[in-house]
Amino acid sequence: MALKKDVYKEFESVVGEENICDDPAIMPAYYSNKFAAVILPGNTAEVQAVVKLCNKHKLVFRPICTGWSGMFPPDIILMDLRRMNHIIEINEKNMYAVVEPYVISSQLQAELFKRGLNFCIKGAGTNCTAMLRGHGHMDQTTSGDDRNHLAIEWVTPEGDIVRSGALGSSDEWFCGDGPGPSIRSILTSAVPPGVTPGVFTKAAVKLYHWPGPSEFPIAGHSPKYVLSEIPANMMARYYSFPSVEKMWQAEIGLGEAEVCYELMGFNAAMVAANITTCNEEDEAMFNCLNKEVQGPGFFVIIAGNSPADFAYKKKVLEKIVEEAGGKSLKTLEDPELEGIIMCQCIRISASIRETFRPGGAFNSIPIMGQRDLTIKWAIGAGEAKKPLIEKGLIVDDGGAFFGWGVEQGHLGKTEIFCKYSPSNPTAKAAVETWQREQNRRAFEERYFASTMGPQDEIGPALCNYSQWWSKVVKALDPNGVSPEGGSLV
Amino acid sequence: MGLEQYKGDMEMCCRCSACKFIPMQKVKGHQYAYVCPSISRYNFHAYSAGGRLNIGAAMLKDGMKYTDKLLDIVYNCQLCGACGVSCNYAMDMEVLEPINEFRIKCVEDKKTHPALDKIIANLKKQGSMIPGAKGKRGAWAAGLKIKDATKEKVDVLYHVGCLTSYDKNLQKLAKATAKILQKAGVNFGIAGDAEMCCGGRAYQMGYPKEFLNQAKKNMAMIKKAGVKTVVTSCADGYQAFKVLYDRFDLKGELKVLHISEYIDKLIRDGKLKPRRKVEMAATYHDPCRLGRLGEPWVHWEGKKIPGDRFVFDPPKPYRRGANGVYEPPRDVLKAIPGLKFTEMTRIKEYSWCCGAGGGVIESNPEFAKWTARERIEEAVSTGAEALVTACPWCEKIFNEAIKESGSSLKVYDIVELVEKAI
Repeated sequence: MALKKDVYKEFESVVGEENICDDPAIMPAYYSNKFAAVILPGNTAEVQAVVKLCNKHKLVFRPICTGWSGMFPPDIILMDLRRMNHIIEINEKNMYAVVEPYVISSQLQAELFKRGLNFCIKGAGTNCTAMLRGHGHMDQTTSGDDRNHLAIEWVTPEGDIVRSGALGSSDEWFCGDGPGPSIRSILTSAVPPGVTPGVFTKAAVKLYHWPGPSEFPIAGHSPKYVLSEIPANMMARYYSFPSVEKMWQAEIGLGEAEVCYELMGFNAAMVAANITTCNEEDEAMFNCLNKEVQGPGFFVIIAGNSPADFAYKKKVLEKIVEEAGGKSLKTLEDPELEGIIMCQCIRISASIRETFRPGGAFNSIPIMGQRDLTIKWAIGAGEAKKPLIEKGLIVDDGGAFFGWGVEQGHLGKTEIFCKYSPSNPTAKAAVETWQREQNRRAFEERYFASTMGPQDEIGPALCNYSQWWSKVVKALDPNGVSPEGGSLV
Repeated sequence: MGLEQYKGDMEMCCRCSACKFIPMQKVKGHQYAYVCPSISRYNFHAYSAGGRLNIGAAMLKDGMKYTDKLLDIVYNCQLCGACGVSCNYAMDMEVLEPINEFRIKCVEDKKTHPALDKIIANLKKQGSMIPGAKGKRGAWAAGLKIKDATKEKVDVLYHVGCLTSYDKNLQKLAKATAKILQKAGVNFGIAGDAEMCCGGRAYQMGYPKEFLNQAKKNMAMIKKAGVKTVVTSCADGYQAFKVLYDRFDLKGELKVLHISEYIDKLIRDGKLKPRRKVEMAATYHDPCRLGRLGEPWVHWEGKKIPGDRFVFDPPKPYRRGANGVYEPPRDVLKAIPGLKFTEMTRIKEYSWCCGAGGGVIESNPEFAKWTARERIEEAVSTGAEALVTACPWCEKIFNEAIKESGSSLKVYDIVELVEKAI
């Protein structure tokens, strides 16, 4: 559906001729949809004006950042936030950074390292927006999800500008809950059936102490960047354990001791993907590591604030691992590989090599919850992957899953992938079936209620929260111009 | 096969946007994180490599649907290959090749750019990339006592290139090169008026037939002259002889060196000694076709192995930019007494393009200059007084951008500084 000329002109008068396009040629670049137009607002005022025009003409809109994922109905106004790419403030004293949507995590992290700070890099990768809500490698120390969003500037579906938390009563961004309106449950909603409607135009993200170097000493050429030396007081190791129970014992022990900068419950397949530069190398490395590990395991980075702090953390780490019968993966003790994976996990947040490279596509079931419980579910989901592996429909990763603790505690993230070729419809269908079945099992066996699970059953079991959410959304978006679904990646 | 052969590659694109930025580990802050001039200038995702691949995949499926906007996207790309390096850090897929094939398809379908048509018409008529060029190609060499390689036996053929031969402001590069080679006692020659365009820029513009025509003529001349080594002082020429001629099985055993590599060798062998001080703070710009796109061609033929992984039998070697010419020009600059060498943020395989490639300097000079200005700003940020490059096309566009912007930055080709130092 093309926009009428006069309507197009109205949008054009907001963003300028260069920043609006309805030519069908550009649409496949975004998603396989024919959008009414793609618009590139340059600031909050322009976003607000575009949203108001959408309400005036009853046009549905969706915002995107780098464009990695999302759900996009046809005929909508697609708001590409690419021009909003400024770091507004890095407040070292109060430990927050204010960013616009198209600042990517890698940019912000590089600026923060220079100041001895870091923030939660989400698992989607440092190529995605720094504003993204979610989880990542460093959750052990930087937490995840809405804990890291402080004050937020939000253009509501009707085009009002709402400033949450401290920003609602001052020009300070230090707190998401006040003094000022605390609307955290609305602004950061990721419960099914969707995320917050409207557009986040600025957000303050919480900063954390960074004990590592101001810049990693990277040598070599892409795709094999190595560290010329392991930074002082830092170490990366992979430990495997005789059983899931032993692994959990060590994981919880390390959390209680608070010695790990990162604790990532990688499986051998993900370690292999991250330290190799191509698919063939990856497959060979996986086969090698699979023989070397004694069972499930995790990857750990420790980072000391001084040589003494490092020595203490290392000693505690080794003792806890030993008590649980853990063994260090010798292959990863090679300083070159140690440096590669250290940098991958901190500067890249892994992601693309382990998700898209093998087959080109992946489907995932991510869950947040009590780690020991979700691990039990994931073991079953991993077993259910094996027939698909045997049929050659998905990439062989041994049926593995992964996950990590958040805030050094019992709470954590557990996730399981199926990687496949996007050109193979049979594989896609089989993976979607697996996903549905495992989400249903999680709910029926009372492990957790997945955001991707059967909503018509999950809602009634949880106080009909989905109906309440729909009412909230209806109140926020009376014209129905800001559909739910999709994340701001 | 054309675009069809890259169907699987195009479908692999997951829109992660890595192609817009330098590799994530190399990002040093908010500034200078972008690597693709096209998306940086035009902002719509369609101007990124990911956008281009998704458009390619869609049009392969549904047919080519030409619009003015589509052609704007196609021709506003320097084909600099930075996108491919950033993508291929993590992914196994072709990026630049399908983008280039898409442009070739446009040309085949007669959806050409008038400015590029004019260039190609001149190439067919006069054998050069410089429409309106007057005088003889070898006129710059008058009185310099340089051997004619088509008539005398030489060890090295210096292929001067179109721009250096005809542009009055850049002929100094040819003269400096000749002086350096003479000083080092190299038995070299030029083809003079018999020299022809390498054809490399025609390939970038989407005209493979015209490129092949030039390539065949050049190789016939080289064979006839019995030349075993060609040295170029133009990055486009280097890439044409070294990579494209090899790709199309025309290069044979010919040894191809860029002048920066050759000077580096001469210094190492003690045949050239930079003794005079050249007091300046300088930074080096990696020309795309000497750096990441100068990586040798790897001949490969294979089939995708059916199944879950995007792998081939035999394994497909991807050219990811690691084997371009990066150190020789730096080593040469470091060998010049008095020269204080600094590096920019975006260097080597993830260098920012000068803006002149892919026919953009002809089809959209404003965009070419915009791209050059970005680089000039980055060079200035290092504290350098001079920006050194190793390609006349880079020097030309940098100087044009500087003239308009009023920057005090000086631009030199590497041979100009070596000439000062010997």
